Amino acid sequence: MGVDSFVNWLRDVAGTLHENAAYLTELDSAIGDADHGANMDRGFQAVVAVLDETSFDSVDELLKKAGMTLVSKVGGASGPLYGTFFLRFGTAMSGVELTPETIGRGLHAGVEGVLARGKAELGDKTMYDAWAPALEAYDAAVAGGSDLGAALTAAAEAAAKGRDATVPLVARKGRASYLGERSAGHQDPGATSTTLILESAARTLS
Amino acid sequence: MIGIVVVSHSRPLAEAAVGLAAEMVAEDKRPVIAVAAGLDATTFGTDAMAVSEAITSADSADGVLVLLDLGSAILSAEMALEFLEPDVAGHVRLTSAPLVEGLVAAVVTASTGASLDAVVAEAERGLVGKQDHLGDSPAAAVAPVVEADRSVEVVVGNEHGLHARPAARLVGVVNGFDATVTLTDLDTGKGPVDAGSLSMVATLNAQQGHRVRVGASGPQADEALAAIEKLAAENFGDEPAQKAAPAASGSGLDVAIGPAVLVGAGVDLSGYVAGDNELGRLDDALGAVADELRELRDGTAEHGEIFEAHLALLNDRKVLDDVRTAISGGASAPAAWSEAYDGLAETFEGLEDGYQRERAQDVRAVRDRVLRALVGATSAAPVESGILVVPELDAATAATLDATRIAGIAVRAAGTTGHGVIVARSRGIPLITGIGDVEVPAGATVAFDVRTGSFEVEPDEDRVRATITERRDEREQAVVRADEPATTRDGRTIDVVVNVGVVQDAVDVRGADGSGLVRTEVLFGDRRTPPTVDEQVETFRAIARALQGKPITIRTWDIGGDKPLPFLPQAKEANPFLGERGLRVFRRRPELLRDQLEAIRRTAAETPVHVMFPMVTTADEVAWALGELGPRDGLEVGIMVEIPAAALRVRTLAKDLDFVSIGTNDLTQYTTAADRTNTAVASLADGLDPAVLQLIDHVVRNAGVRVAVCGDLASDPQAAVLLAALGVTELSAVGPQVPLVKARLRQADLSQVDTVAVLAARDADQVRGLL
Repeated sequence: MGVDSFVNWLRDVAGTLHENAAYLTELDSAIGDADHGANMDRGFQAVVAVLDETSFDSVDELLKKAGMTLVSKVGGASGPLYGTFFLRFGTAMSGVELTPETIGRGLHAGVEGVLARGKAELGDKTMYDAWAPALEAYDAAVAGGSDLGAALTAAAEAAAKGRDATVPLVARKGRASYLGERSAGHQDPGATSTTLILESAARTLS
Repeated sequence: MIGIVVVSHSRPLAEAAVGLAAEMVAEDKRPVIAVAAGLDATTFGTDAMAVSEAITSADSADGVLVLLDLGSAILSAEMALEFLEPDVAGHVRLTSAPLVEGLVAAVVTASTGASLDAVVAEAERGLVGKQDHLGDSPAAAVAPVVEADRSVEVVVGNEHGLHARPAARLVGVVNGFDATVTLTDLDTGKGPVDAGSLSMVATLNAQQGHRVRVGASGPQADEALAAIEKLAAENFGDEPAQKAAPAASGSGLDVAIGPAVLVGAGVDLSGYVAGDNELGRLDDALGAVADELRELRDGTAEHGEIFEAHLALLNDRKVLDDVRTAISGGASAPAAWSEAYDGLAETFEGLEDGYQRERAQDVRAVRDRVLRALVGATSAAPVESGILVVPELDAATAATLDATRIAGIAVRAAGTTGHGVIVARSRGIPLITGIGDVEVPAGATVAFDVRTGSFEVEPDEDRVRATITERRDEREQAVVRADEPATTRDGRTIDVVVNVGVVQDAVDVRGADGSGLVRTEVLFGDRRTPPTVDEQVETFRAIARALQGKPITIRTWDIGGDKPLPFLPQAKEANPFLGERGLRVFRRRPELLRDQLEAIRRTAAETPVHVMFPMVTTADEVAWALGELGPRDGLEVGIMVEIPAAALRVRTLAKDLDFVSIGTNDLTQYTTAADRTNTAVASLADGLDPAVLQLIDHVVRNAGVRVAVCGDLASDPQAAVLLAALGVTELSAVGPQVPLVKARLRQADLSQVDTVAVLAARDADQVRGLL
């Protein structure tokens, strides 16, 4: 468990998002500006390019670099949001040993950054609707003695439930909020990409 | 000076917004404006790193203002602050101001050296002007501005009023002083508003001609007021409004002398030598003429349509093809051009419709303009002084002559109601018609006197000049006394009012007791789209203001016949003068009329207004018009009497009215069945024909309401006395004639006018003899 695992995670996220780019864009075209899949794909392909060129000694540098790359390359609101997530996650991992607990604190720091940046609340039909139950499930699993892989699996499953629960919601943030009531009935693309990222973590970080 | 950063998803959007805002301020005064927009030139998106770099590049000790579009632009900009050094981030402000309006306001305000707080406040008020104009959201609460005790009054000379750029210059000057400056539009009563705020100046919406009170307080109040007065005198830095070429008016006399200038003899082509590039010469000539025509169109606002039509004739593809084919076959450019346009003129002349036939004049005008360009005759309007002698007078010539230099116009054709004649007379150019085929050598001294009906070649110059002096004195006397009422020697006071086709008519007139005819179709005749209710109110208000709030009689759209409106196209009619004219047009499509009536009612709430409907024939039409008008509170309502049927049954028609106004031009042509635009029969259309006078007499005796005359007859001082004697109590004349009509009425004893003999006269000439 070290930098390499996190590198694998980021590469796996990139591959997953690339495979799901069309799907995410389709979700976004229903209630947004039809660019989420393309934006995330572009951002993570840029992250992969960085990984190909640079080797990282520490998880915190790796995550911060990934965050900065996303900030510059995604383009849409998910750029600063995921960018902030990885930056804050990375910062929290600076100089700490990698344990389920420290990684949990890192995830919390990242998601707090997302909240501060996007000012979303639970039920606004955003990625936070996936992050919030995911963190709760993760914390509960770790408190119950689960290892990292099991905790991440619990988190990913909770995220998927949160993602599914966004379908009936009316969007109150972002471009989808312009649609008002018409945004109900569609799954939130941000909650979907968050779930994909957590599912990837469950596969690669253990 | 603060720096400005624009964050947008789209680089073209941001760059265009910056371009729009930059235009407001001279380059050397602009703040630094940096753009962080798009992931590249074409990909939408924002990049927090790019935003932070843009802020760094625009950074200044005075601070940086960041304007943004939406979504990720906001998140990226917030994130960018985290990337900056804390001391830089501390003086950066992100604003929710609207991107375009906020940016414009920010750039202007920043250019004056204003603080970051002041620029932010200004940017956030960016929507106020738009909201105030559209009235779609409650006006933002603005701190009340206290009027200063020191103030000056300036007039807005700018063609489009105190619009964005002049307003920006004003704000720039104001903010250069340590003074609080306010503006109040004295014509609309709006204000006072803060003159240091672009958006507040915009809400004032001060139009051309408005008087604005500038108030100032503070240590540099006097300096600020002096600088603003200077700026106002310089049109707030705008180019002075292009004065419509023929705004100045002629002597207004009915007598003139000068060397004869013959026009209509055609262009002398004898000196023309064809070369091997005739097609090229033709194209050069066409280009030059098109430029001339565009200049004429833009310079003579009220007659612009005429030259637009000439441009269309110039660009007739079919005729041009014929000309080019002929040139390719060996013809010279002038020969080919003449032949083609002669053919076209003939085609028009062969048409049955008189209105269409008149277009042949336009074809010949365009033909000669191009021929002159081909032979190098420099001036397309060669007549600058002397007396213009023409076979017939087209409106284009009449509209473009320099009225201050031309001595007079003598028209061979009879008829006093053609367009050219009306235009020339309204411009105060001495004019005689119907001189016939009298031989006039070019350059010979000629003189005419409309009052005696004489036209002389090589006259006794001293005698003519003495007459001119006499008439000028008479006129000057009349102008001096213009403001005195027109009370006849037997104690009857006649209202002498002015016909208004452009606002300037109301401004220029001396002594008018109001307006008896506001020609709305002329006021807005150069428009491509219908004027809004607000625009109409504004214009009516300007006319009433120019006439010191005396009553104005607004005639609703009088279109059709020979007066098409560009924004209300009508189907071609074989007999337009007997077709859908005036009120008739609106029975099937009343929308434009409804807007106008709304504007009239609104104007009437502020100033005395009468409304009248043109071209009324039946009582049903009157009832319909009154129904469209709705509540009449305070508004006097009348109709035009210009159709014999209306004159004969005026008692029925006027039952629910306050007045009627006789349009003598149309009444004359409908009574005599003579087309005033057809020179062959125009002499029959004489307003002093006893048949016409009998109808007028009938109207006065039977109307049961006040009777006015607003046709050309009212502008003729002699005829005015007769009309007054018949019982007409209001005469609406063209501006230059108002003082003369009043002066003549003051000398008249109406009881001495033998109206019985006039009405029984054999013909118009006998009527003239009796006057």
